[in-house]
Amino acid sequence: MDRLVYLDNAATTPVRPEVRAAIAPFLGDEGFGNPSSAHRFGRTARAAVEQARQQVASAMGANPRHVVFTSGGTEADNLALLGGALAARSRGAPFNVAVSAIEHKAVIDAAKAVAAMGGKATVLPVEGSGLVDSNAVAQALDSGVSVLSAMWVNNEFGVVQDVTALARMCQSTNTMFHTDAVQAVGKVPCSLDRAPGACLSISGHKIGGLKGCGALIVPRANIVAPLLHGGGQQRGVRPGTENVVGIVALGKAVELAVQELGATATHVAMLRDNLEHGLRQVLPQARVIGDSGSRAPHIAYISFPGVDSSTLLMHLDLAGICCSSGSACNTGTVTASHVSTAMRIPNDLAVSAVRFSFSKYNTEQEVRHVIEVLPPLVEKLTRA
Amino acid sequence: MSGGVDSSVAAALLVQQGYEAIGVTLKLFCYGDEVPDRSCCSLDSIADAASVANNIGIPHYVLDFEDKFSEAVIQNFVSEYSLGRTPIPCVRCNSFTKFRDLLQHADELDCDYIATGHYAVTQDGALYRGIDPVKDQTYFLWGIDRSVVSRMLTPVGNLTKSETRTIARELGLVTANKQESVEICFVPNDDYISVLEQHLPSDAPALSVGPIVTTAGEVVGEHDGYARYTIGQRRGLPGGFSEAMYVISIVPEDHKVIVGTANELFGHRVELSELNWLSEPLEPNATCQVQVRYRSPSVPARVAEPRRTDTLALDLAQPVRAIAPGQSGVMYGERGKLLGGGVIR
Repeated sequence: MDRLVYLDNAATTPVRPEVRAAIAPFLGDEGFGNPSSAHRFGRTARAAVEQARQQVASAMGANPRHVVFTSGGTEADNLALLGGALAARSRGAPFNVAVSAIEHKAVIDAAKAVAAMGGKATVLPVEGSGLVDSNAVAQALDSGVSVLSAMWVNNEFGVVQDVTALARMCQSTNTMFHTDAVQAVGKVPCSLDRAPGACLSISGHKIGGLKGCGALIVPRANIVAPLLHGGGQQRGVRPGTENVVGIVALGKAVELAVQELGATATHVAMLRDNLEHGLRQVLPQARVIGDSGSRAPHIAYISFPGVDSSTLLMHLDLAGICCSSGSACNTGTVTASHVSTAMRIPNDLAVSAVRFSFSKYNTEQEVRHVIEVLPPLVEKLTRA
Repeated sequence: MSGGVDSSVAAALLVQQGYEAIGVTLKLFCYGDEVPDRSCCSLDSIADAASVANNIGIPHYVLDFEDKFSEAVIQNFVSEYSLGRTPIPCVRCNSFTKFRDLLQHADELDCDYIATGHYAVTQDGALYRGIDPVKDQTYFLWGIDRSVVSRMLTPVGNLTKSETRTIARELGLVTANKQESVEICFVPNDDYISVLEQHLPSDAPALSVGPIVTTAGEVVGEHDGYARYTIGQRRGLPGGFSEAMYVISIVPEDHKVIVGTANELFGHRVELSELNWLSEPLEPNATCQVQVRYRSPSVPARVAEPRRTDTLALDLAQPVRAIAPGQSGVMYGERGKLLGGGVIR
């Protein structure tokens, strides 16, 4: 295999060289301290954590006090949904949450956990474009939910939600609005001034940071109750000795992602368009799916009717091209994902679809390589 | 690569022998509630297979064969029990799932061979019993297409089980000390009745009350479903007879379980259907060795007249105990060469 092409950047990304440089001191002999310690080692670590908090806050248009570091996107989502619902319950508000039907499992299953604890979880349907049905939102808000969650950019199709409208609707009823922005950071303009009052989940490893570190932006005190209990770090909302290395990586990665947003978005959109256009020219049966609404620039979801996507992925991997079908955890089963189902994408298209997701490090040459390698595989694997 | 020691070592040996190998684990059925959302990547057996593949430096993939396996194997398993027979799903899994459906994937990948951890020896387009008499698995391989045999690789067929384990330990494979699986893979805790209950209506005759009748026609008791019985079984029969009683046959039309003495269990003839040959078909009066149960000894047999294309009757040189419809009758020639087989009727 002479070339490896990584087009699964919505699953995870390579660690950026700038991030590697930023974390190096904290893997060394002087940066290992516990940020809560009063001595010099502690102070060094504390300064790094607070600098990262500042980086995240300014990139996301938030107050540093509102940044809660977590173990990643999943924990941030759980803290928002479960923590938000628990806080609501303890102040006598409804123990009810509403989430869109195309959320990441971390949000959907956290909502189910609320229901399992005696609360209520409403799933908000989406239109074919992937946009949350605004009537359903209004209804949910009327009926009294305490947390409403809709992801900024969907991880499978890249659907961009109208979070500004949703945030405003929630503000008008004094409802906590949460948006999973894990796929949005660095791909679309994404900050609190576009989602007033929102809680926002982000993750490091989708933008060149490290796995195991993310954050929840919580713009008001006391709206989320802690899920973990311990030494009082991060104002008790998320105790535990801070993951200094992960946090430093997150700060650097978010800062760079937001600085470079314009250039990255233009670059990956060009690559995506080249791929979609190029593949449709050589494979007229190829169908771009999930693109009827507004979508983020880094994801192409292309269906090859008659081809089993998991088989195609195997062939592509053996040919050195790495991509995925839907969310990585489901790989191995050809069932259409809950997102495809919610967007009413026909099953035969959904089970034949492959997700290509780009980063700033991908090149036009790589896309040309895929356009060369893929068609014969698709033709071989197409079954009547 | 099931995630067991045999296929793990088979893969490792192929790599040692210089093959370019691709590891595949088949996901054959839904593993139940312990695995939320069927995200099979968290399953232990698949994780073990993936770990071994990584260890020996080959790619590894999971293929979802749930639908294919259900159609080819589980549905037949249920319908055979409904007909009062005792099926062997492993035979159909080999015939259809592994050496037909998986082979199609191998073809698409331009693979020359399909390798498994079976204890069987391939040589010149023929299959022979594995070296380890306790582990020999040719009994389950009679149904595969003859043309496939020349593409089969069975690297552990020349080993004993303990040799296989030794190699696995030497290579540090995580599966080295894994316990042998003796169950049918999709039947948890050996409780096949619960599988039948899932697939059959609650009033299915196979699971409903019926009479237990002696070979002389005397009703001696009641059973709660003939699918709970197999030929030669003693458990679950009423007592109080002068000698031990066994299930002699099952008559699904009348929901009857027929019982009789040990002597009545012996048969002199096997009739095979769904015939498949891995050598030239035997002509009438030709002789072979036939085995009617896994791990039971084979006996000399002669092909009876008249010879039909789709069925075959074999006259046994000595009476054989508990010949059970649904099990396989597998024919062997010289040096344990697998000639073919069929389903006992």
